[in-house]
Amino acid sequence: MTVLELKQAKKTFGTGHKKVEALKETNFQAQAGEMIAIIGPSGSGKSTFLTIAGGLQTPSEGDVVINGTSLAKLNEKKLSKVRLNEIGFILQASNLVPFLTVHNQMMLLKKVKKDTLNDQELEELYKDLGIEELRNKYPSDLSGGERQRVAIAKALYTNPSIVLADEPTASLDSERAYEVMELLQKETKSKQTTTLVVTHDTRLIDYCDRVFKMTDGTLREEDHTPKEGTAHE
Amino acid sequence: MFLAWNEIKKNKLRFALVIGVLFLVSYLVFFLTGLANGLANLNREAVDKWAGDGIMLTEDSDQSLPQSFLSIEDADSIDAETAVLGQLNTIVTSGDLKQGVAIFGIDENEFITPDVSEGELFSDENEVVAADFLQEEGFEIGDTLTLSSSDEELTIVGFTEDARFNAAPVLYASLETFQTVRFGEATEQNADQVNGIVIRADDLSALDAPEDLAIVDTQTFIENLPGYTEQKLTLDFMIYFLFIISATIVAIFLYVLTVQKINMFGVMKAQGISNGYLARSVVAQTFILAAVGVVTGYVLTLVTGLFLPNAVPVQFDGVAMAIYGVVLIAVAILGAIFSVLTIVRIDPLKAIGA
Repeated sequence: MTVLELKQAKKTFGTGHKKVEALKETNFQAQAGEMIAIIGPSGSGKSTFLTIAGGLQTPSEGDVVINGTSLAKLNEKKLSKVRLNEIGFILQASNLVPFLTVHNQMMLLKKVKKDTLNDQELEELYKDLGIEELRNKYPSDLSGGERQRVAIAKALYTNPSIVLADEPTASLDSERAYEVMELLQKETKSKQTTTLVVTHDTRLIDYCDRVFKMTDGTLREEDHTPKEGTAHE
Repeated sequence: MFLAWNEIKKNKLRFALVIGVLFLVSYLVFFLTGLANGLANLNREAVDKWAGDGIMLTEDSDQSLPQSFLSIEDADSIDAETAVLGQLNTIVTSGDLKQGVAIFGIDENEFITPDVSEGELFSDENEVVAADFLQEEGFEIGDTLTLSSSDEELTIVGFTEDARFNAAPVLYASLETFQTVRFGEATEQNADQVNGIVIRADDLSALDAPEDLAIVDTQTFIENLPGYTEQKLTLDFMIYFLFIISATIVAIFLYVLTVQKINMFGVMKAQGISNGYLARSVVAQTFILAAVGVVTGYVLTLVTGLFLPNAVPVQFDGVAMAIYGVVLIAVAILGAIFSVLTIVRIDPLKAIGA
């Protein structure tokens, strides 16, 4: 089932000789339960692709369709609802609210969005991510790896159909980075979400089903065989 | 409210400081209000006490009671309840005590006669009922008062509450006593002279004043008391400016707090949390801070009032203070609106660094 689709999406900045094509005409489809890596050097257009896919900015041309809903005609308020209901964001820097405990990070989403995991599912999520002991701690009390695991919990708590992760392991050492990728992979498969991971760390692509490479705004699928025991369990 | 309250709980010191500023501003507003009220009452207590709707004075007096001279018979020309009033200012001395006073000469059968809170009403010549302020200053029933402007001596036979006129405590005396003090040997020739005639009437405009006399409504009369309006306007301006200053301070505080959180708000917006939710959170937080600050200011102002010496003319009006408190909270929320505009303008894309 196609969850996310970019139809001839294109993003340009500036005009005339200052015109820059951050994302050249792109067609892209992602299915439920797929974990996809978007790799490429800095400035290649990965983040532009991710933010367009996440409804944070609109393409200059073309359209983005999430679960059959075209984002092209939605105003900011409706886009905001789509982001809340359909998308979970995991950002490079921790996206946690500094004055909320781990548990209250989830409760904030529960107050804003009615459809969230029930208490038992939340407990399971805490357990899956190994953060059940952290629920009463503030982000400042957590290590980088713990913060990213909480960020993943936060992204998954609202039952999104798409998880967009922008360099989710950038601030982590290798061991923690693999741990986070394993968690993402596990949750993608168990909850049948579509996960897009933007990274320039090619070691992480082993956890993904498909790999796309972004070069100067052009997205191309790479030949990729998921590493046994990681991507296809 | 969830976000607002949790942020306050986590950053207690920071928000205690903000509440401290709001408390100080409200304390200052309440205290100035009490001072303005007290000073106003200092001038008008006795006028409020006679509960008249207007007063008849000579036209030439420019609505000043001491400059007005009219006849007791002039009261007969007014088709309303009237009370004659003679007034003079003098200084009284009793032993080591010395005090500037206003002597009111009145007819004890008319409505202007005060209620006596202690002692009794004057019944004989040279007896007076004094404002209780004199009691607080050390004067007692039975004290003999010598006067700076007359050889007559007066005796205090009773006290009455809240009776000051143009900041001077009032001595109520019979018209005869008043005339004796005022005119001395010429009393007989001036026996019908008073300064004003206080009127009680539903419609003052329906009354016709005799030639050369004018009927002034009580509020206008009070506003024309020497220094009253100038004093009141000065304090009112201070209070109004304080409102503007407090609104600005609160707006700046909240704006700085919001600017510090732009990135966090941007991330929340990226996650789909609406502008409306974040705006409500900022307004709720402002309400909590302002309400705590204002209520603390309110309570501490009243507590301060208990310890102030009598010489400080402060009088707190709970209802007026409550209204000012509500205005202060409203002003703070108005300040928060500027922060809300900042939130609306935050681009989530920039906040997440994409």
